[in-house]
Amino acid sequence: MPNDFSIIGKPMAMVDAAEKTTGGGKYADDLSLPGMLVGKILHSPYPHARIKRMDTSRAEKLNGVVAVATGQDAPNPYGILPVGHDEHALAVDKVRYVGDNVACVAAIDEATAEKALRLMEVDYEVLPAYFDPEESMKAQADLIHDNKPNNLEKDYHHVFGDPEKGFAEADHIAEGRFIANEVTHAAMEPHSTLAAFDIDSQSGKPARLTVWSSTQVPYYLQHKLSLVLDMPMAQIRVIKPLVGGGFGGKSEVIPLEIISAITARKARRPVKITYTREEVFWAHRGRPRTIIDLKTGITNQGHITAVKARVIQDGGAYCSYGVVTILYSGALLGALYDIAHIQYDGYRVLTNKPACGAMRGHGTVNVRFAFESQLDELAAKIGMDAVEVRRRNLLKPPTITVNGLRVQSYGLPECIEKVAEASGWKARKGHLPRGRGLGLACSHYVSGAANSIIRSDMPHSTVNIKIDRDGGVVVYTGAAEIGQGSDTMTAQIAAEVLGCSLGRVKIFAADTDLTPIDIGSYSSRVTFMAGNATLRAAQEVKKQIASAAARKMNCSPEDLVFRDDSVRKRDAHLETAVLGGASQPGSGASVAGRVEGQILRGSLQQKRKDEAPKDSMSFEEAVVAAIDFHGALSGTGSYAPPLEARGGKHKGAGVGPSPAYSYSAQAAEVSVDEETGEVAVHKVWAAHDCGRALNPVSVEGQIIGSVWMGMGQALSEEMVWKDGMLMNPGLLEYRSPSSVESPEVEPIIVESVDPEGPFGAKECSEGSLAATIPAIANAIYDAVGIRLHESPFTPERVLAALRTKKAQKKINLTEGIDPTAPAGFREHGGALWFRGKGPKRHPLDPSRREVHEAARGDD
Amino acid sequence: MSLPQFQLLFAQTTQEAVELLTKYAGKIRVLAGGTDLIPSMQQKLFEPDYVLDIRRIAEIGGIRELPGSGVEIGALTTLTMIEHSEVLRRRYPVLTEAAATVASPLLRNMGTMGGNICLDTRCLWYNQSLTWRQACGFCIKKDGDLCHVAPGGTKCWAAFSADTPAALLCLNAELEIVGPSGARRVPISDFYTGLGDNYRRLQANELLTRVFLPEASADYRGVYRKLRIRGSIDYPLAGVAVAVKRSNGRCADARVAITAVNPAPVMVKGAREALVGEVIDEALAERIGDLAAKTAKPLTTSALTPEYRREMIRVFTKRSVLAAAQS
Ligand SMILES: Cc1cc2nc3c(=O)[nH]c(=O)nc-3n(C[C@H](O)[C@H](O)[C@H](O)COP(=O)(O)OP(=O)(O)OC[C@H]3O[C@@H](n4cnc5c(N)ncnc54)[C@H](O)[C@@H]3O)c2cc1C
Repeated sequence: MPNDFSIIGKPMAMVDAAEKTTGGGKYADDLSLPGMLVGKILHSPYPHARIKRMDTSRAEKLNGVVAVATGQDAPNPYGILPVGHDEHALAVDKVRYVGDNVACVAAIDEATAEKALRLMEVDYEVLPAYFDPEESMKAQADLIHDNKPNNLEKDYHHVFGDPEKGFAEADHIAEGRFIANEVTHAAMEPHSTLAAFDIDSQSGKPARLTVWSSTQVPYYLQHKLSLVLDMPMAQIRVIKPLVGGGFGGKSEVIPLEIISAITARKARRPVKITYTREEVFWAHRGRPRTIIDLKTGITNQGHITAVKARVIQDGGAYCSYGVVTILYSGALLGALYDIAHIQYDGYRVLTNKPACGAMRGHGTVNVRFAFESQLDELAAKIGMDAVEVRRRNLLKPPTITVNGLRVQSYGLPECIEKVAEASGWKARKGHLPRGRGLGLACSHYVSGAANSIIRSDMPHSTVNIKIDRDGGVVVYTGAAEIGQGSDTMTAQIAAEVLGCSLGRVKIFAADTDLTPIDIGSYSSRVTFMAGNATLRAAQEVKKQIASAAARKMNCSPEDLVFRDDSVRKRDAHLETAVLGGASQPGSGASVAGRVEGQILRGSLQQKRKDEAPKDSMSFEEAVVAAIDFHGALSGTGSYAPPLEARGGKHKGAGVGPSPAYSYSAQAAEVSVDEETGEVAVHKVWAAHDCGRALNPVSVEGQIIGSVWMGMGQALSEEMVWKDGMLMNPGLLEYRSPSSVESPEVEPIIVESVDPEGPFGAKECSEGSLAATIPAIANAIYDAVGIRLHESPFTPERVLAALRTKKAQKKINLTEGIDPTAPAGFREHGGALWFRGKGPKRHPLDPSRREVHEAARGDD
Repeated sequence: MSLPQFQLLFAQTTQEAVELLTKYAGKIRVLAGGTDLIPSMQQKLFEPDYVLDIRRIAEIGGIRELPGSGVEIGALTTLTMIEHSEVLRRRYPVLTEAAATVASPLLRNMGTMGGNICLDTRCLWYNQSLTWRQACGFCIKKDGDLCHVAPGGTKCWAAFSADTPAALLCLNAELEIVGPSGARRVPISDFYTGLGDNYRRLQANELLTRVFLPEASADYRGVYRKLRIRGSIDYPLAGVAVAVKRSNGRCADARVAITAVNPAPVMVKGAREALVGEVIDEALAERIGDLAAKTAKPLTTSALTPEYRREMIRVFTKRSVLAAAQS
């Protein structure tokens, strides 16, 4: 009975829902310690400059300031990737973007620390700066990092199959440039870190370090802290409190996490830093502005013959996850459709802006926007329906794609059929009133990377389970709950395997002293990998319980069924299965009372009492029986992706492979106001293949959230730059959608049951996002016949395209930076912002400021 | 971002408020709903020594019908109260429409009529943190001497970005301002200077106490349309208010005002003359749209390109005029 689960597959509230919704839960910024100081960071006012002189003395003298830390206090470089150790928590000689970290003041309160920042004196030698990636690639001098010629972080050139031959076989070829502008995570919780050193009782010097931080990756944080602070990892404990959303923005070590520790060491007092929203934007690590030159060939029968993509990513001033991002952009051209010939040229470029990194749908989103848009163009050319053309290019799993990705479970066909049906595609597409349209697009994503970023054979996840006489199941996992539900998933899997109620399971997560290593919550890996590790750990303890229980019941362990807080012989189980004893945490009270009595009387007595074999035991009885035999029970499970899933041999082959891929198909219905260019999304039907939905309501939440976030990037979210100044570093001007314009989303869960996922589960929280942007773009095309090549589709971009199409009076926004974009069109936030001389930068002449200070009063 | 240090003062009466304002003139700021003042103080746009909380002054809250002579609105009346006022909705609909578009429901619960009228002008180069402004060398409106929006110029172009004043202009509203020498009344059109920095005619020791909507402006059909990217929260990127009185199918009187595209809310020149006596149709509405676009001077103070915002003033004006004529 494969579907006869008692815990999984049923919608249930997150295990931490109550503490979050009642305000009892503690996030990093809610924490405080005796003697704690507030840290405030001094940021660079220049996009590219050398620090000539720094004088901290005036700041240090300010009453209430305890310490001022600078780069000299911890000069070791670090970075999330082993190949990208190019960051300093505090600048050592150079600053590389407006907002780069220069120094940190620890003071008794925020106002004092801010006042001290105004007293810091720094002399800079301003260097020429690079803001546009295509310009930056031409750089000969004043490089952003000396060891990166042409400001090129990394480039990759991949050829799979024979693209030339593929294009020769095509009946139609489309070529175009697509631009996706820069977006950021905008998680609700700003980053926050509290760092405290124990003082060594013998020497009086700072000893062990404990860091509470809003992180998706506690283990990496522990590792980088050790690197920068020159401390053994064993001396560092990282604890992740509740985290208010990550989306990738907390999936690497963020400067404040190290700066707070450096400053705490210097101040010899605990230091907490919480970013302002502006600082969150500067810390960034979001999705880079991406220029995609895409070429696709298709036959008249609708078969894609070849794809060629040249991708330039504006990565900002540091490597961050950049090398991985640029590889994902190429690798994930594969594994969605059956494409025999792929050419990929990817360039990750450095510019003097905050570093881009991983963001929900890491690497795949922007290229998917281009691909799915171009596929629609081609379908129109050959007169084929968007659904049909996708049907004709499906993979035939199990298979290994031309670029070495192993695909086993593949729910895409069902996703496509389901959204087509739910959206009334056949009847409605092309028959909606003027200005209204339907669009379709597909996407996919990894369920964790098959190769971890630290090259090592260690398991990616390990989970320990302990059960003692009280019958409580304690699970220790390094997996980081960041609001996505990893604790709930862990509890569900443990409870399902052990046949106990959810209330019996207690989760200890993401505390490096207590929990085994898990590489973190990113690339949608937790359910697949930490879930499998939990499954294995639970099976291990279950085996111990089963053998003890089997002895008692005079049967073999295989004959036992664990369910509803009891252990029964298989036949006995059938009876109660009919009765359907849904067991809630409280409902076993009488059983628990008896067991408690037994524990008090001691195990010998109990043994005597239980001499006669029986057909069933309560979970507690079975546990006690096993403990009498073994001592406290413990089990360990770990997960490492299988070798077969780890990809090919070419340079860069490590990124893209995953043990399993999720699939998504979406239809969007939009209307376009042809006079204003405003786009309204009315409804999105989103089918997602998540393998098995362990908690359906949680899967639906992830699908809806992905669609919503994708819609933000499609319509309104964009980081706007002017000469290295971020013009919209706040949630008022950086426009994530509000509830008013959010469409109805109909999530449709497709369960392909993966052979290797825990109970068949795969990822569900990133894969859907990438389909939303092209689905909206395709719907806009259906509504008003314009093909948008640049996201977000702000009303001015849409209007400019409409005017161009109708050959109406041009709206003289600006000239095109994009050769394929409508002529007479320059966007507000696009590349032309980078040109021009921009603001004349005043050296921060103190006398100048004083003049104005004196004149102030009536503003 | 912390708030600068200041001493919080309370006034119970208008007179007390004026006394405090006079005593600390130049060093004090009025706090009503605080929805604009508080974020601005966090950004260190204002660092007053004193903040005067006027919310305890009972005499300047609420909406009162003055039989035969219109309606009086106290400066402390919240935008939510205006949005839901039955008498305003019935008699001065353009104002309730405008009030309902301000910010978000929570901010409208806090934000006041007086604060909306007195709202500081806005600019991408100005409404930023101290650190940010320092990085670009400050600007002419605050701490600096150049304008990033119109480089080379010496004028500040920060955009007046409140919604309701456009509606109040259409209603010929009058403001009551109380100072040490008593109360004075000014038409709202005289309240704004048209400068981005010194945008309002209000002395440091004066308080805005009431708004009067004249009887003569009652019962006009009113429409307010607002350009914004999100359906809530956003300030206007362009706003159009229209009030029209009809008689026998023709336009008997009409006023059109725009906001968020100039350093002050402004009446559209020539709109009234073009509309009065006419049957309002698409072509006429379009002509009014052209007039409005001519009056608008959008610059890169705000999101979206100036050209687009000017274009939207044209479209939104046309639509508002038609909607007001047909409603
Ligand atoms: C996220 C966000 C979005 C917003 N969106 C909009 C929007 O879409 N449209 C819009 O119009 N506004 C918007 N606002 C601005 C603001 O919320 C409203 O304009 C509100 O009406 C201001 O009123 P208040 O009482 O809160 O003003 P306060 O912040 O208390 O005061 C604003 C200014 O007026 C002065 N002042 C207030 N009352 C008086 C008085 N009686 N006499 C003399 N001076 C006075 C204050 O000293 C201060 O300079 C937004 C604000 C935020 C934070």
